[in-house]
Amino acid sequence: MAETGRIPVPLRLCRGCRRFVNLDGREDCVFCGADLAAAEAEHEANLAEMRRAADALREALAGLR
Amino acid sequence: MDARRAEALPVRYAGLDDIVKRVPVSVVWEITLACDLACSHCGSRAGRRRRDELSTAEALDLVGQIAELGARDVGLIGGEAYLRKDWLEIVAAIRAAGMRCDLQTGGRNLSEARVAAAAAAGLCGVGISIDGIGATHDKVRGVPGSYELALAALRRVRAHGLSSAVNSQINAYTLPQLREMMDVIIDAGATNWQLAITTAMGNAADHPEMLLQPWQMLEVMPLLAELAVEGRERGLFLQPASNVGYFGPHESTIRNVLDPEIFFHGCNAGDTVMGIEADGTIKGCPGLGADYAGGNVRERRLKDIWENSAPIAFNRRRTVEDLWGFCRTCYYAETCMAGCTWTSHALMGRAGNNPMCHHRALEMDARGLRERLVKVRDAPGRSFDNGEFEIVVEPVPPAASTRVPDRIAVNG
Repeated sequence: MAETGRIPVPLRLCRGCRRFVNLDGREDCVFCGADLAAAEAEHEANLAEMRRAADALREALAGLR
Repeated sequence: MDARRAEALPVRYAGLDDIVKRVPVSVVWEITLACDLACSHCGSRAGRRRRDELSTAEALDLVGQIAELGARDVGLIGGEAYLRKDWLEIVAAIRAAGMRCDLQTGGRNLSEARVAAAAAAGLCGVGISIDGIGATHDKVRGVPGSYELALAALRRVRAHGLSSAVNSQINAYTLPQLREMMDVIIDAGATNWQLAITTAMGNAADHPEMLLQPWQMLEVMPLLAELAVEGRERGLFLQPASNVGYFGPHESTIRNVLDPEIFFHGCNAGDTVMGIEADGTIKGCPGLGADYAGGNVRERRLKDIWENSAPIAFNRRRTVEDLWGFCRTCYYAETCMAGCTWTSHALMGRAGNNPMCHHRALEMDARGLRERLVKVRDAPGRSFDNGEFEIVVEPVPPAASTRVPDRIAVNG
């Protein structure tokens, strides 16, 4: 069987400082100290809020036409 | 990655399945070394044809062999690819085999007739090299007037409905002009801008004054991040080459391909990238030198070289134990594997330690240090040759340090 290519080692993006961190089981970012899960949750909440705002704007604009 | 993103990705994007199966998604093929420019950074020292370039029949047979391996994108380069008389036959054959075909060119003689003929042959897109504004470009490319000729070629490509991209070198001459260059190439209609750091190979090895110093990554990466964000807003997709990086706070921004969680995951040479020289020599990457030549298609089938040749396999067979210097104990060692093999080999004489790295420069700077490259050996003067540099670790001059040190958390 032919050799496989080099499988990329996965990393995770810290939403606090936007650096990538190893998946080594640490709960805090090795660079900025942020709680990785909490920073991700806050990021997701902000994204959801932005999407809601965009949807509302689209609806409002559609109502004007 | 979801289906929507997968569909929107460029053909050249290699996914996990491609990596596992070692599909040479992107093949970069130097079809001739003849050239009509005299670039001071040319790694292949292009100008005259190679002694024994593939015949038309051999080249067309090779197209079939490339397709057999599942390649999706063939980029034709030189020298200057259009100087090969049968280049349009090669373009047509690549397209007939179901692969995308692009031309990477200096554009000096990419005339209206040539662009029209290439479009008729099925060429998909053109990447034109622009290295600075006006006189800077002319100096880097070695031909007065080549800047205006390159811009004219870019507009010509757009007018014929081909996808248009720009390739630019980041070096001591071009770095101060990158922002202005972005304005110019957006105005000329380019939609994709690939940027690569000038590598110390070939002609560039003879011009160390042109090369960036490692500490300059502290300037380059924030700038590219700004340009990437602004470029996206203005319809230009900034694409960092594999030797631009690595990590630090801007990695996500500059490598974002519809996904901010994409990061540099190491050299792809011999896995999803293949380089072909005009005489049929096969390498894992177009930039690599003779040490990485896996064989010649005049002697072995391409499939055999790709699957069984040890020099092609170097990347997938090495481990962190093969790294040295800073890279050996770097926080990102296992992921990054010293970044671009071409860059590290060209500078250090062997792969495994790459000083052109943002994360490394940040780590050094946090300790009040920086690395400076000093040339200690000249390149011998052959195509794809290199000299050698030493790394001098020195204190950051007081006037140069502007960073507030971050928390240092990494090993090494």
